[in-house]
Order: sequence, then C-alpha cells, then structure tokens
Amino acid sequence: MTSLETSRLMPIGGSFCLIDHDNRVVSDETYLGHYALIFFGFTHCRVVCPRALAKLSAVLESLGPLADRIRPIYVTIDPERDTPDVMRSFLQPYPRFTGLTGSREQIDRVKKAFRVFAQRVDDPTGNGEYAIPHTAIAYVLDPRGRFVSHFTDAPSAEEIAVRLKQLLTTDCQPCGAGAVPTV
Amino acid sequence: MSSPYALQSLDKLQVGHIRHFDNLSRQPPNQWELMKGKGYGQEDFGGFRFQLAYMAYALALTHRHRLPAAPGLFKPIFERLIEKILLPEVWMYWRDVSRGGSIFNAHLAENYREEWNPVGRDNIMYSAYVQSMALLYNYLFNDSRYAQPAALTFRFWSYFWGGEEKRFEYDQNSLNDHIYWQMVQSGYLGVACEPNCVFQICNQPAILGFRMHDLINGGSIAEEVTRSYEQAWKDFGRIGDNGHYHIMMARDTKAVRQNIGKSPWVDAWTGALLNMWNREFVHDHYPRQIRDFLKSGDDGALSINVPVRPEVMGQRIISDDCDFGWVTAWVSEMGDAETLRGLLTHADRYMAPTWLDGGLYYPRNDMVENADGIRTLIEPMSGNVLLGYARLNIPDGLWHLYNEPWEPTHFEEPAIVAVGSDVDISRAIFDSARNTLNFAIERRRDVRGNGTVRIAKALARGPWSLACDGAEMARGSGNSLQIAGSLRIGVDGSDVLLYCPEGFAHLCAMTFESGKRDSR
Repeated sequence: MTSLETSRLMPIGGSFCLIDHDNRVVSDETYLGHYALIFFGFTHCRVVCPRALAKLSAVLESLGPLADRIRPIYVTIDPERDTPDVMRSFLQPYPRFTGLTGSREQIDRVKKAFRVFAQRVDDPTGNGEYAIPHTAIAYVLDPRGRFVSHFTDAPSAEEIAVRLKQLLTTDCQPCGAGAVPTV
Repeated sequence: MSSPYALQSLDKLQVGHIRHFDNLSRQPPNQWELMKGKGYGQEDFGGFRFQLAYMAYALALTHRHRLPAAPGLFKPIFERLIEKILLPEVWMYWRDVSRGGSIFNAHLAENYREEWNPVGRDNIMYSAYVQSMALLYNYLFNDSRYAQPAALTFRFWSYFWGGEEKRFEYDQNSLNDHIYWQMVQSGYLGVACEPNCVFQICNQPAILGFRMHDLINGGSIAEEVTRSYEQAWKDFGRIGDNGHYHIMMARDTKAVRQNIGKSPWVDAWTGALLNMWNREFVHDHYPRQIRDFLKSGDDGALSINVPVRPEVMGQRIISDDCDFGWVTAWVSEMGDAETLRGLLTHADRYMAPTWLDGGLYYPRNDMVENADGIRTLIEPMSGNVLLGYARLNIPDGLWHLYNEPWEPTHFEEPAIVAVGSDVDISRAIFDSARNTLNFAIERRRDVRGNGTVRIAKALARGPWSLACDGAEMARGSGNSLQIAGSLRIGVDGSDVLLYCPEGFAHLCAMTFESGKRDSR
C-alpha cells in the first residue's frame, strides 16, 4: 500500500464534542444544516474577544433574516476558567453567540483541528492570573460542516458582511482551486 | 512597467552567471557536480535546496528587471530547478532532522518522530522554497502548471530499503494553504526549520510565496501575514542589543537567540530577503550592521570579517555558512554599489573565477585564507549562486519584484518564448511607446544547439520589420515574409522564428506598424 497524503484531505476543522453555555452536550453535528461562524477566545480577554464579538454581532445584525442561517459560536481556549455559567454570563452582550467549553483535552483537540494558536502567558506579578494571546480568526463552515472561509481581524464589519452575503446567497464552495479565501 | 535596468544590455559576466545556472539545471537527475559542500547530508546552508532556490530567485530578479521580454530564456531553467528540488536527494535529510536531537531541541526529542513528508510539519527551510519557486513560476510566466493536482509531489521509494512507496501530493495552492495555516498556528511568529527553531530568515521565502499567490489568485495573505508577523515579533524585537538581527527563536520557551558572534550570514541573508516587504527597517539598520563585517583590501577590494565559530557539544561545526556570498547578495539588494564593486573585485581577484561551458562560477575552495591572509574560502552556494545573484540583482530588486507587479498587458506583448541552448540573450525589452521588441542575441560557438529564437505574440501585432544593428533583415505581414539579410527567418503558427547562423551577435529591433494590428 502506498502512503499517500494530499493536503486537500487535511481540511480546517473537524469533529468535536463540547458543552454549550446551557450545559448541553453539542458536537459538530449539532450545527449541520446551518452555516457556523466560529471564533476562539477566552472570557478574560480584554481586547481581542470583546472587539471581535462586537464586530461579528454587528455583521450578523446587518445581514437581517439571512443571519438566521448562521450559528455563531464562541469556543473557549481557557476551559479551566470558562465554565458554561461563566461563558453564558460573558456572552450576554452578544446574545447571538453560543459559548462552548469542555475538558482541556476536548478543547485542545478542537484547537488543533482549526489550527488555532493560543499560548498562556502568566501575569508577571505572580498573582496567579494569566492571559492567552490567541488567533483572532473567525471561521465559516458551510451547512455540511466544511470549512469555506475565514476572516482575520483586519476587515471591517462591512467587508465581512459583504463576503458572508455572497456565501449565503450563492451557497458558494471554497473559492478558487486551493486559494486561501481569507478576507 | 519595465525597470530602467532593462534598457541596458547584460555584460558578459552576467550572461555567464545565467548560463552557469542553466548548465547546473541541465545536469542529469542526482548528478550534483560542483554543488556539493563541506557538510554531510544536505542539512546546512549550502544544501542543494538553497542553491536551487536562489538560482531561481536570481533568475526571477533578472527576468523581472533586466530581461522582461525573454521568458523563454528563464522558464525552462526554472522548470528544471523545480524538478530537481523535488528529488528525494534534496529533501530526505528531513526524515532524520525531524527526529530532533540538536542542542536546540534535544530536550523535546522524545516527542518527535521520524517524518517522511518533507513539508508536513516544520522544515520551512525546504517547504517555503518549493512553494515560492512554484508560485514565482506561475507569476513570471503566466503558467499554472504547478497549480495542477499533485504537480508538486514528493515521492520516495527504494529497491533496497524502506518498504512501500512514500508519496506526498501537493500543488502550489495546497502547499501555500498548508504553510499559511502553519503560520497561523504559530501565532505568526513563523514556522520552524529544525524542530523548535523558528528562524527569521527562513520564513521570508514563504512570504514571497504568499505575495505571488496573492498576485495570481487575488487576496491579501501576504499583507495579513506580514502585519501579524510584525505584531507577533514586537514583544521580542527583531534586532539584538548589538544591532544585529536575531537568528532564531525557540518555539517552546520563546527565547530569542541573538547574533552575539556577529555572523555575517545572519544579517546578510535576513536583510536581503526582509527588504522585500520591510525596506525602511532593513535600510535603516544596514549601515551600522555592514560596518562590522567589511574588511578593506588592496586596490578597492573588500572582504569580510568572519568570527571563528564556537564548538558545540565539544564538536567543531563543519558546514557552509556562505558568509561572503550572503553579504554580497545583501549589498546588491541594498544598492550599495561601491561595496558591491569591492566585494566582486575581491572575488574576481582571489576566488578563481572560472568559465565552464560558457558559464561563470567561482569553484569551491575550503582554504579560509591564502598565505597572505586574504580570504579565499568560497562554498558552492556562494560560488555557483550568490555571487551571480548579486551581479544580476538591482538595487531593492526583491522589493521591486514584490511591490511592483507586472501589468497584465505584459503578457500580451511580443516576447522571446524559446531560445536554442547555444544562444545568449543580453537584452530583451518591449518598448510599448515605439511598438518595438528590442533584443540582443549571440549564438555561441562553444555550446551545442540549433541557434533558434522564437518570438511569440508577434504576428497579431500586424506588419513588422526586423533590423539588426541598424540593417534591415526582414519584413513580414501575416504569413508573408521578405528576407533581406543573412538571417534565416520563418513563421510557425503565430510565432516568428529566427535561425541564427554561427557567430551571429547583434542588437536587434522588431518593430510593428502601429494601427495595423492583425486581428488574428
């Protein structure tokens, strides 16, 4: 048998099993049938997460009824502190988002699947606090759970909205042969 | 937009370097004459992969800036270089290096395993060259052959050991995606070379590849990555206390390794490449950095100071650092003409420039200094590639390549798309204002070939005339030809073919009558 690898077979994303902020067990299959907009972060994040969640919420608001086809998800990279209750409370200003957490092992697996960078940095004062610099990318999965696009923190809410509208109205597949559909 | 350098003809030395690249590219598979360095196993900076890649980069710079209307000179060499960089001889070192065990990753080695896929994880010191060469090819020649499925396949099978065939299939886009996501996963600090070792230098070729990908496919990966890369390195700085570039960062501890020993190759290699997207930063630091390296010689010659490398684990390191070559290449990118002239003067005086089959190179010499204490050490990477690179580059050459893409109309202009192996081209530029293809060709007597020059996109421009050194040689319109000189000329499809007689050496101009474009 030949050992064959094709990078086309190494998609972004994959199966996962986590707990949502209402303490329900969810998996990648939970969101099939809808587009998923997934952002990774942690509730102690002071800048990146609040800014991204606010921007993405505004994007979804601007989409009107089209937004009903999207399930916005916020996955913690800090499961030790981000319990379901903490996630639910943190996401109150961003009610469209569902928070997901899980065991350290479950979180590490989903981080790896989405190629997420996250590295704990201890507070130099030694008070036990820490921050976690992390990837600020929003991933879009199609209704079959396949990665179709991603947004860095650079594009404006308007630019993201335009791109999402294109995706939603055309049900377009990954754009271009192998192109990284980054915005 | 053509570079002003394209208005000048290449000199004999520049033509000689291109022909040496061509000669090396024509060696049969696994023949690596003149290319083997001191080190074992393709692990160090003199490895075949670096020689192949920087020959390709030098050709890219020359085509973009000096001979924009001669893709046919460069394209076949590029293809052969890419074919060679895919050979297992070039990348099989990774099966061993991936296991770790160097002083930089020995403490992590038990977590590593043998990797056969040379681009699967880490090893950006190889993967980025394959990616950038393939994407440069697509951009320069408007040819997507490496975008086809499995066009970049890494395959190994031995009759003698190793079991089943190992095959890893990529194309320019899937490899680009793969490296991009590795970059994301690293927090944009960069992808490692050897496990746990993130070199600044070795992530720059990937950025060149990203830029080419954006130019071909649209998008802004390069902008995203460079912006994020700068942000990610902000906490560590890219320059040490002594003003020299950091060599690398340990991925696990985020400790940077400073260039305490002031190794010239570190600054030179980093500066030469980083300039493409961070010009101001590189130019700002260059004057202070270069001062630490230059050593004055007689009659305008310049050499370099190279510190003795410390022993590691009680062992003397035997590898090709290519300091002289890298400094020369860096100086060329900085546009420091006086220093470049001094270094090349030194090379021409003390490093035995050699002509072989019409090609120019500086043969490997392991002797560090001659009896007079003058530096003579030169490695294959420097002698085959980097000195030629420096001679062919223009000031800010990579910056211009990266930031000033060709207009789409470039690919519609008449151009030399194929040349016989015995034909040298020293000028090739289409002057759109005068509707004229200017080119200088010489048929060599010392190289075998058929003396042909094929010009494409010509007939569709309408009636044309060809003059060589001012004397009219032919006129044509469609398939009809009137030949007035000694040059045999034919029409093949929509191309014009020139058959140069032996010793033919002329500056030619093929002029098209404006306003009379042939609708074909």
